[in-house]
Amino acid sequence: MIDEGVDQLQGTQAVEARALGRTFKGGVQAVREIDLTVARGEVFGFLGPNGAGKTTTVRMLCTLLPPSGGSATVAGIDVVVDPAEVRRRIGVALQEIGLDPVQTGRELLELQCGLYGITGGDARVRTGELLELVGLKDAADRRTKTYSGGMKRRLDLASALVHSPEVLFLDEPTTGLDPASRLTVWDEVRRINEAGTTVFLTTQYLEEADQLCDRLAIIDDGRIVSEGTPERLKAEIGRDVVTLALDGADARATEAALGELAGLERVVAETDALALYLEDGAGSIAEIVRRLDREEIRVGAIAVARPSLDDVFLQATGRRLEGAEEEQAA
Amino acid sequence: MNEVLLLSRRAVREISRYPEATIPALFIPLFFLAVNVGQVSETFPETTPFLGGQGYVAFQLPVSLMFAVATASSGLALVTEIDNGYFDKLLAAPIRRSSIIFGRLAADLVRGILGSTVVLVAGLALGAHMESGVLGAVVLVLLSALFGVGYAGFGILVALRTRNVQATNTSFLLFFPLLFLTPNFVPFERLTPLMEALARANPVSYVIEGLRSLVIEGWDLDKLGACIGVTVALGVVLTGLSLRAIATYDR
Repeated sequence: MIDEGVDQLQGTQAVEARALGRTFKGGVQAVREIDLTVARGEVFGFLGPNGAGKTTTVRMLCTLLPPSGGSATVAGIDVVVDPAEVRRRIGVALQEIGLDPVQTGRELLELQCGLYGITGGDARVRTGELLELVGLKDAADRRTKTYSGGMKRRLDLASALVHSPEVLFLDEPTTGLDPASRLTVWDEVRRINEAGTTVFLTTQYLEEADQLCDRLAIIDDGRIVSEGTPERLKAEIGRDVVTLALDGADARATEAALGELAGLERVVAETDALALYLEDGAGSIAEIVRRLDREEIRVGAIAVARPSLDDVFLQATGRRLEGAEEEQAA
Repeated sequence: MNEVLLLSRRAVREISRYPEATIPALFIPLFFLAVNVGQVSETFPETTPFLGGQGYVAFQLPVSLMFAVATASSGLALVTEIDNGYFDKLLAAPIRRSSIIFGRLAADLVRGILGSTVVLVAGLALGAHMESGVLGAVVLVLLSALFGVGYAGFGILVALRTRNVQATNTSFLLFFPLLFLTPNFVPFERLTPLMEALARANPVSYVIEGLRSLVIEGWDLDKLGACIGVTVALGVVLTGLSLRAIATYDR
């Protein structure tokens, strides 16, 4: 039943936003005139640290928050002009797991079916299918307050699927989950997408974006700073990344010592490290060591790696994603 | 309409699943009934003119009914759902936002009927009798419950406006002055001039007077009409404000 209605998106984009923005009271610009296009059938990722504007964007696209500026359509429907029709066509699982703790899993799904016009025997059948899909058949008649975090997330996911939505919005679907539960949710997302549903997911996990998304946009401080397939984004920033652990060595002196290294595209200073983006990382190691020796600069470990999404994030924003999270937490 | 029924059924189901939220709320009205009656029964014996030949419990019964039904239960349930994210889930569904409020009010009606029935039975057990008969008892319970439905709008309004559990939880305290600036212990005429003026300006006084008339006097249509008028007006105003608050929530 999951693929019902998916074809209705034929000829339109699943999500289209133009200069979409949201300014809160007090003048805080959470989202700043972003442009987005998500094709039907895609798993589209919205990657960024806490406070970057991911949730605000999702809430606007889900009609939970009106935009302050710009426009957006979801499943071809304008979110401001006809929010009720948008809600009929989308499924939503927000960051806060939206479950009623007093109800059982089965009651919650049957109620959710009812709210989407699926009643009686149809609701019972659909509920059974979804409980099976997310592996909660055995726990179906327990109150949701007794569920583990992973079970709650899976039930929340199931509740977003009762009406076989054309577009599924998942706001940080694995935040707070243990690694095993995270993998289970990834499998569910893949399965839902394979059945034809477009998935728009936000995440602050690089691996999640890399593993799940056909395309992604990196958002920072309310702006989209980079967009493309994970492979293209990684390819755009150069072939290899050589990281020099400074271990107290002066960053400027180290960078100066490297001089005009062959194939070096750019150098990014990090906390007690330098990231060198160059064509041939392994082949450049000897030359790097030679030049540092010549200037009597002692560094720690030297590591060569293929570019990751973290490097993409670093290039786009000037800092690492994990570092940004720590800043937020602090 | 279907969505109102579905959400009502869910909210009513909560009552049986969360007895700890309902039972303590009944303790206060039963406590006041027992203590007030126990303390002043000697002062106001059955021969007291305004008691109509009944014990003081008949006079106090409507006050306890007010206490039983005027709760912030729905507001608390709503603010809890705002807090845990389920409220967003409901807002994201293709339903009218008003159905969320009406679902909650349906639970208040059921809770009000249950609570006022318990208090009425306690009052009857303590010696009160319904001058208006069985039908009067039914009307007494229904009017009390309807007043609870109207009053619930206040807790819902606070929940939607503040999104704060503590603020919603303490909102029912507003009811105390409204309940005590009334002819709750003695009739209007026996109050001091200032208290009488305040009580006459307080609409809750007319709800108590109407309910009390069913217990002590029988069918006094003027008092009953005023009681119904205030109850309906309160319900229309507070429910209307709640509907506006949910319609403009995050808008």
